[in-house]
Parts: sequence; structure tokens; C-alpha cells
Amino acid sequence: MRVIWKALIAGAFVITAVAISQTNSGSGPVFTKDGDLVLPTGFREWVFMGGPITPNSLNNGEAPFPEFHDVYIERENLLYYQHHGNFPDGTVLVKELVLAQKGKYPDGSLDSASGRGYFPSELHGIDVMVKDSKRFANTNKWGFFTFGHHAPPYSPSAKVMPAAQCASCHIAGVAKTDMVWVQYYPLLHANLQ
Amino acid sequence: MQKREYLTAIFGGIAVIGASAALFRAQPVVAQTQGSAAVFTSDGKLQIPTGFRRWVFVGAPLTPNGLNDGKANFPEFHNVYIQAQNVEAYMKTGEFPEGTVIVKELTRLLNPTFPDGSRFEPSGRGFFNGAFNGIDLTVKDSKRFAKTNGWGFFTFGHHPLPYEKTAAEAPATVCANCHMANVAKTDMTWIQFYPLLLDRTAETRWDTPQSR
Repeated sequence: MRVIWKALIAGAFVITAVAISQTNSGSGPVFTKDGDLVLPTGFREWVFMGGPITPNSLNNGEAPFPEFHDVYIERENLLYYQHHGNFPDGTVLVKELVLAQKGKYPDGSLDSASGRGYFPSELHGIDVMVKDSKRFANTNKWGFFTFGHHAPPYSPSAKVMPAAQCASCHIAGVAKTDMVWVQYYPLLHANLQ
Repeated sequence: MQKREYLTAIFGGIAVIGASAALFRAQPVVAQTQGSAAVFTSDGKLQIPTGFRRWVFVGAPLTPNGLNDGKANFPEFHNVYIQAQNVEAYMKTGEFPEGTVIVKELTRLLNPTFPDGSRFEPSGRGFFNGAFNGIDLTVKDSKRFAKTNGWGFFTFGHHPLPYEKTAAEAPATVCANCHMANVAKTDMTWIQFYPLLLDRTAETRWDTPQSR
């Protein structure tokens, strides 16, 4: 009888181990054999950190990101940052761009029942950054990728962007906060879960 | 003999766990939502939900104080969260299940430098998230909130953390009336502001970005 119990527990451990490894398989960056980054999936169930908006209408029609910038991070990497003040290798940050609804005023805003402002309309692109101290040593440990700056569908994979496109601005602006604009993300400066 | 007993038990263990996992996964959406995030006190107040920052973020309208005479109804970003199983149910049926909770967490703007509330940052002139500034939420319960089209509305404060721990239902004139006047046809929710919820016909899934 004792053997049976031990075996039952062993069986449960086997299943649990399999389940855990399956859960983790979706976590962290996935690269193709050529070193391209595979489009992350499932990030809409990660933690939302914030969504700045820089409308074209406030940027002479030429905002680099003329949409809401909705930024997602996996929970364990958020908690790690809250404890350590930097992100672990393997951290993926996804920025999904969402167009604002067509404005009525010159500044791009419109009136709604809740007031005058900016309101999301359509998904419009995905940019991603990945921390890997070795692979991206030349750009302060982070690699930058874009899967398209347009309506879906997005590219299934993406090559690392030249430093001049993304990394150099992050290096100039936020090298001290692990290359992330933490000042825009209240969850990163509050000890909250 | 002992080895065989051992193996049988291992497979038995696997079968038991597997079966319970299968049962868990096979539960219909309605049964899952019996575990609603809405918890009421004995005097009918709603407890503030926990863990909603791990729910699905569906969108964040922005109504800056600077564009609303300093008196935006909801200052200023409105970050809206819904549990995954309720998003899933909505995408299938066009309605939210009983027990659905939709949380709106407000954040202020980060240090405005222009009258409209915007500021310059390396990514351009725009609006950036500042401090957390309050929680409003709505709960679907057709019986409890029959008078306000099946949804009850609550506010846990429009101010910096910490928020109130419990809230009484807000009067219909404060929240429900405006939802009934504008979005009664879309289950009292401003679906038009949440792109993930808009496209229920495409062969795409809300939880997976569409790629070529």
C-alpha cells in the first residue's frame, strides 16, 4: 500500500513537471536559426505597464510612433525589476501600437461621453526589445525588433534593428534604467503586483 | 509483482491528475465564471478586486484634465482590464457572462508642460502615464443590478493610492445612466474603444497577434 502511495505521488510529480515545462516553453525570446526573433505570442495576457501616446497632430504629422504605445511585460520580469532595479536576461518587452480614433480637433482629440481626449481604435504594429547580455552586448544588452508598423498581419519573425533606429535613442535616454523608459510605467516605481 | 504494482500506481496517478486537468479545461465558460472576481460584503458593498493587473488589458482611453477645463470625469488615462475567460466568452457570444468584472484603473499624466497636459519626450510630444489615480469598476449581475440593465457600478476613489477597500453601488445618475444612454446595445460596455473586442468575425484570436 505504501508503495502505491509513493508511486501515486511520483506520478503526480511527473505530471506537474511536464505541466511546468510546458508553461515555461512560451516564456522568453525565441530565435530562428538565423538569429531572427520569432513574433512573441500570448503577450496580451502579460502585465500591461502603460500606454503613452504621441499623436501625429502634436508632432507636425511625423511622430515616430503616432499611436498609443501599449507596453507589456511578463509578470516574473516585472517582479524581478521591482526587487533588483534591472531586468533579467531573457526579458521581453512588447510594445503594441494602437491607432487613436480620428480626431475632430487640430490636436487629434475628439469629444466622447467621458470627455475630450484620445481613444484607441485599431491595432497598428508591434515593436519588441529583448535583453540578452551576450547576443546584444554592442547595444547595452538589449536587442530591438519591429514586426511591422501597420495593421495586422505582422511579420512572423524579425531581424535585429540597426542601432541607429532604436538602441541609440534608448542608450542616450535611459541607459541608467536598464534601457527602459521606466518613468512612464507606474508599476515599475511602485512596489505593486 | 511489486514493480507492476508500482507502475500501475504511477499510471493511476497520471490518470487521476490528467482526468482532473481535462475536467478543469473542459468546463464550459459559464461554470468558470461562477468564480466571479466580484466579492460582496454582508451589507452589499463590493470588495476591491485583487490581481486585476494580471487580467487582459483591452485599452486605455485618455481624457486629459487639460482638455476638459481641469475637470475630466476620469482623470486621465483609463486602463481597462477584463479576465481572460470573460474576454473569451464575449468573443464567442457578444455578451459578457454573469459575474464579469471590468476594472478601470486611472493614471494621471506625467508632469505636463503644455496646457493640454502633454510634454516633450524623446518619442515626441504627447501624453505619458503618471501616478495611479483611482479605480472604477462594473460588475454584471442581472438580478442584483436589474434596474441598471444588468450591471452595477462602483468607485474605489479618484485619487492616488491607497484606494478604498470596499465600495457601495454608485447611484444610477453617476455612472449607469450614461452607459445605458450610449452603450446599452453592446452590453453596457464601450466596445468601440477596445480593439481586441471589436473583431469577432475575423479568423483571428484576441490572445494571439495575427501574423502572415
